[in-house]
Amino acid sequence: MALLLDITTTAALLFIVSAGLFVIFGVLKIINFAHAAWLTIGAYTTVVATRMGFSPWLSLPLAVFVGGLLGAATEIAIVRPLYRRSLDAILATWGLGVVIVQIITLTFGRDMQMPPALITGTVDVLGMPYSSYRLFLLVAAVIMGLAFVLVLERTRLGLNAQAVIMNETLARALGINTSQVRLVTFMLGSAIAALAGVLLTPLSSVDPTMGISWLIGAFMLVMVSGTSVAALALACLCFGAAQVLVSTWISPILGSVTVAVLCAVVLRLHPKGFARG
Amino acid sequence: MKNAKPTCLCLLLATALVSGPALAQEGEPITIGVPVGLSGANSVIAPAVVQATELAVEQINASGGILGRPVKVVVADDASGAAGAQTAYNTLVFQNDVDVLIAIETSAARNAGLPIVEEGEKPFIYSSFYEGRSCSPNMFVNGWVPEQQVPPVVEKLMADGARNFFLIGSDYAFGRGMLEFSRKYIEDKGGKIVGEEYLPMEGSDWTAILSNLRSAGADAVITSTAGGTPNVTLTKQLRASGISIPYANLAVDEGTAKAMGADGVGILISASYLTAIDTPENKDFIAALEKKFGGEMRTPNDLSTPQYEAVYLYKAAVEKAGSTETEAVLAAFPEVSFKGPRGEISMSKQHHAPLTMYLGEVQADGSVKVVAEFPNVDPGDQCPDL
Repeated sequence: MALLLDITTTAALLFIVSAGLFVIFGVLKIINFAHAAWLTIGAYTTVVATRMGFSPWLSLPLAVFVGGLLGAATEIAIVRPLYRRSLDAILATWGLGVVIVQIITLTFGRDMQMPPALITGTVDVLGMPYSSYRLFLLVAAVIMGLAFVLVLERTRLGLNAQAVIMNETLARALGINTSQVRLVTFMLGSAIAALAGVLLTPLSSVDPTMGISWLIGAFMLVMVSGTSVAALALACLCFGAAQVLVSTWISPILGSVTVAVLCAVVLRLHPKGFARG
Repeated sequence: MKNAKPTCLCLLLATALVSGPALAQEGEPITIGVPVGLSGANSVIAPAVVQATELAVEQINASGGILGRPVKVVVADDASGAAGAQTAYNTLVFQNDVDVLIAIETSAARNAGLPIVEEGEKPFIYSSFYEGRSCSPNMFVNGWVPEQQVPPVVEKLMADGARNFFLIGSDYAFGRGMLEFSRKYIEDKGGKIVGEEYLPMEGSDWTAILSNLRSAGADAVITSTAGGTPNVTLTKQLRASGISIPYANLAVDEGTAKAMGADGVGILISASYLTAIDTPENKDFIAALEKKFGGEMRTPNDLSTPQYEAVYLYKAAVEKAGSTETEAVLAAFPEVSFKGPRGEISMSKQHHAPLTMYLGEVQADGSVKVVAEFPNVDPGDQCPDL
């Protein structure tokens, strides 16, 4: 039972952390290496909000707002000219990430911050106490996943985004404002990443470089899932399970590299990864 | 070496600021070189160490210096690593030609600096706790080693009824070294290790380890992670998992434990220095720091306080030797002692120091209460050849 909970909550965490990167890669086909910095910014909105005496819950909308705003600025100023030069986009966003981390270091110092947790304590699941916050993460991931599907299938923005994904030239010919779709997508991706940063604070240390340790896993997961939400969810579940099982039964040191190794293997055997496959 | 000149100039300026008002003293100043990680991993604790050095030097100068000579400090940043340490030690030893080096260091920086200290034939006080068994004719140590830090924790947990222990650490030399010693000590005392797990230093997901801990039936958990991030992620996730067995942390400092707030409450800390030590020496020390640095004061800790005492130990050794000549000072080091905030300190055992160890427990208000005191814990056979 504990194993099952560990697996699902780990998968939920992986999903939350990679969702922002997934949105941007899925629609825009660029890899946003500033993703780690967005996570960090999100976490620091919690620091700021709680320092000002607000509830840590308020940092959730705050992070969405800040992430969206910075995402818009980044898209317009940095990413827009680089859509056809994806390698340059990687360099530019990586550089942006470095700059953001340095700005955070200068503003808040290198020290770790300790904002209060969103939820503390445990809940009894079939007679066994389990971290309430991890269960909350599970709920949050499911809501996030459903919201993705609803937006993609049921809104004009989602339809437009799908059109851009499938055939951008045709979409533009049909009168879809593709540059606006891109702007909104980048904003959404950044906002979701910042939100994920807030959700990480109760589990992770909050310091300027906190995002980096989550970046590689998120990157790998997005690589194997392509443009499908279902594929991302499936990938998170499979790799989360592998990580937990290897850590529990063999060694946590091996467990911490399972996601990376499995992704490489999957892509080798089946280049499309989990998408359509 | 192209950059040496500007660095020197900065160092000299820093020296001028640090040495402060010297009373009517004659002769060449005695120079203390302090290589320290102002940047990199040690940058969080380095300011407290520099403050402690400055305070000791100011106090010594105000009371007539050493052998009537004023004392000055040269600080050099070693970036907390081996490469930076080589530059810093070379500068201090061969360019500044300091009389002594007194420093807290990462093990990597110490290993890189030691050959330079030996080549330049300088005395060196290493004032940092560390994993033990680093031996050099030129180096004396006044911080703790595993043989001193682990026993208080285990004794206390066993006295409270713990028999089955679970060990969790970061996968690196210090983490593994501390837990390896803990395992041996616990098994010697008749306890049992029901699990021992490591995560890489950059790992942040302790889920599987905590589930194993829960199902292992342990009475107590002892952790030795890398300082900083892993320590915080482990503590947060341990607390959130609802595991409530006694929790001793071999790698947390008082400040971090306090900052962890509610998650920190109840953690057992074993240290040779805690701010709560109730002696006049410690109270005077903290008051003097407050007076000198005011709002800029960094809370003294288990690295900065030994650094403060090391300056006084050097003073005592020079006075006993009657000169700053390296051989004479090294011969005097094991003979002298200094009564400081941590009590009476003497580096008398194979270049290491028997220390009074304190067991602290983090309280609900964030303060650390001394729950047990273990006087004169022996460092064991660290350097049998010296």
